[in-house]
Amino acid sequence: MITALSHTKIQSQNLTLLGFGFVLVLVLLASLSLGAFSIPFPQTLAILFDQIGISTGTFEVQQANVLLQIRVPRVLMAMLVGGGLGIAGAALQGMFRNPLVEPGLIGVSSGAALFAVIFMVLVPVASSLSWIKSIGLPLFAFIGGLINVLAVYKLSKSQGRTDAATLILAGVAINALAGALIGLVLFFADDSALRSFTFWSLGDLGGATWAKIPVTMILIAVPSVLLLFNSRQLNALALGEQEAFHMGVNVQQVKLRLLICSALIVGVGVSMVGMIGFVGLVVPHLIRILFGADHRLVLPGSFLLGAILLNFADLIARLIVIPAEMPIGVITALIGAPFFIWLIFNLNKSRN
Amino acid sequence: MLQASQVHFCIRQRPIVDEVSLELNPGEILAVLGPNGAGKSTFFKILSGEIKCKHGAVGYNGHDIHKLKARDLAAVRAVMPQHTQVNFPFTVQEVVELGLISTKAKQPAKLIQEVLEATNTSHLKDQVFNHLSGGEKQRVQLARVLVQIWETKPFPRYLLLDEPTSSLDIAQQHAVLKILQTLKSRNIGILVILHELNLAAQYADKIALLKNGMIAKSGTVEEVLEEEILEYVFDHPIHLIQNPVTGGMLISAAAQAHTSIPTFKQA
Repeated sequence: MITALSHTKIQSQNLTLLGFGFVLVLVLLASLSLGAFSIPFPQTLAILFDQIGISTGTFEVQQANVLLQIRVPRVLMAMLVGGGLGIAGAALQGMFRNPLVEPGLIGVSSGAALFAVIFMVLVPVASSLSWIKSIGLPLFAFIGGLINVLAVYKLSKSQGRTDAATLILAGVAINALAGALIGLVLFFADDSALRSFTFWSLGDLGGATWAKIPVTMILIAVPSVLLLFNSRQLNALALGEQEAFHMGVNVQQVKLRLLICSALIVGVGVSMVGMIGFVGLVVPHLIRILFGADHRLVLPGSFLLGAILLNFADLIARLIVIPAEMPIGVITALIGAPFFIWLIFNLNKSRN
Repeated sequence: MLQASQVHFCIRQRPIVDEVSLELNPGEILAVLGPNGAGKSTFFKILSGEIKCKHGAVGYNGHDIHKLKARDLAAVRAVMPQHTQVNFPFTVQEVVELGLISTKAKQPAKLIQEVLEATNTSHLKDQVFNHLSGGEKQRVQLARVLVQIWETKPFPRYLLLDEPTSSLDIAQQHAVLKILQTLKSRNIGILVILHELNLAAQYADKIALLKNGMIAKSGTVEEVLEEEILEYVFDHPIHLIQNPVTGGMLISAAAQAHTSIPTFKQA
């Protein structure tokens, strides 16, 4: 009987993921079609199908150019970065055993931004060699993110457990330090570097081009898949690090893998589109509230829902102030901050 | 055999566990008793592999504990710590399933069903772990630990439990120790830290008394349970009485004879 039960559990997990995938496709299509330059839905499909050699209708060249050169890379970027932030948030929450953890709050994003700025300002050679720039920037951001997450982890851990209050305080301190250092670096920056920095501080998908997609694709998709292979170990960690060790999990190795993968995902995301807050916090929570805590669902679900949410936020950002664009960080924070307040409120309530 | 030889562990030059040697054979229950701060939990963590002892050695079936990987160690021993906190809304079934994470069980579903029944938690399996009462949580954790070593294996295995009955009522306490007794026939050796002396007297085969990080006395239940040594270990007057119904030993702790707190009359 239990066999049947766990069987249906896996089936319902797959069904849930399939549902998310379906919604994601809908949001992607809507996002491709709508915007300052509206491309009617039939034409959108026609252009896409035309790319794989199936002719289903007529469209103008201008429509095809906007769609293929501007919208598609942008939507892909939003999907990768949103999904990456979602799954990295889920993995970090699981590893810290704390639902308040978020890449922005614990300083991964600010560390990544700091190192990205350092790269932009202090490595001027990079701008002449484009391949160094396309790889070096995300890798530098990754190192910054990794340093910060390690620092916060060490600071917040006492006697084998992470304390929520210390964790948040450590995150605040590290964020403040990173912010100050960013300011210091910018002091030496020239105008073009300063302008680049504005992208990070606000978060902007407008800079997404085809040139950035391959690097982003590899450096976000690969660690995301690696994270998926650790979902059972994350489940064990939810009982505690000692308990996970008792059950045969090599805790140190798993934690290192989780930290590196998460920092890589967030670092690359930040270097590409800037600091986008709250996606990594809200998304895993929604999945847990709706479908339970099993990381075998939480991790892939967070990727899909993160991709949906960021594309949706980007769509709003592009639509509400046509022909201008709202910075996407504003939209995610407008959705995320009230949710965070609600979360703190509920955590306090459940504790009393 | 689980063997600890001259295990020594200091914190800031102060010995917490002082040259402790102990043997646990498969098929026997060894109860570790002692007052608070005697070093029971530290010793327990050294045996489970959580803490590396600075001197001395711990061996499972002749293999040095430091040479065993976490996964290999999990195949020969399961551990139930005092408290386990689950921070996310896992169901009981999911928690118990985790016990099988590093073993390749042939029939995982059957094992899970059996431990849920043995710990009387089958009816809870779809509930969220965090919504359970303290006693229910403890029984579910026991199920999670049991499932790790429930499948029959050709080599001896060990179960370490740190106060597994601390949140249980009397009936559940005895139920848990009865489960431990049934494990003996599965070629499993059980080491259990207990606070309740009578439970130890009733169910254990051997007892080790720990005081100030040292073994004050160890041996069979009859050898160890003497008024004099118990009074020394616990710093408290203790009387041994024969149970008029079963004929077994009852350990009765009298009120402290010379109390330093003035009574109401004296005041």
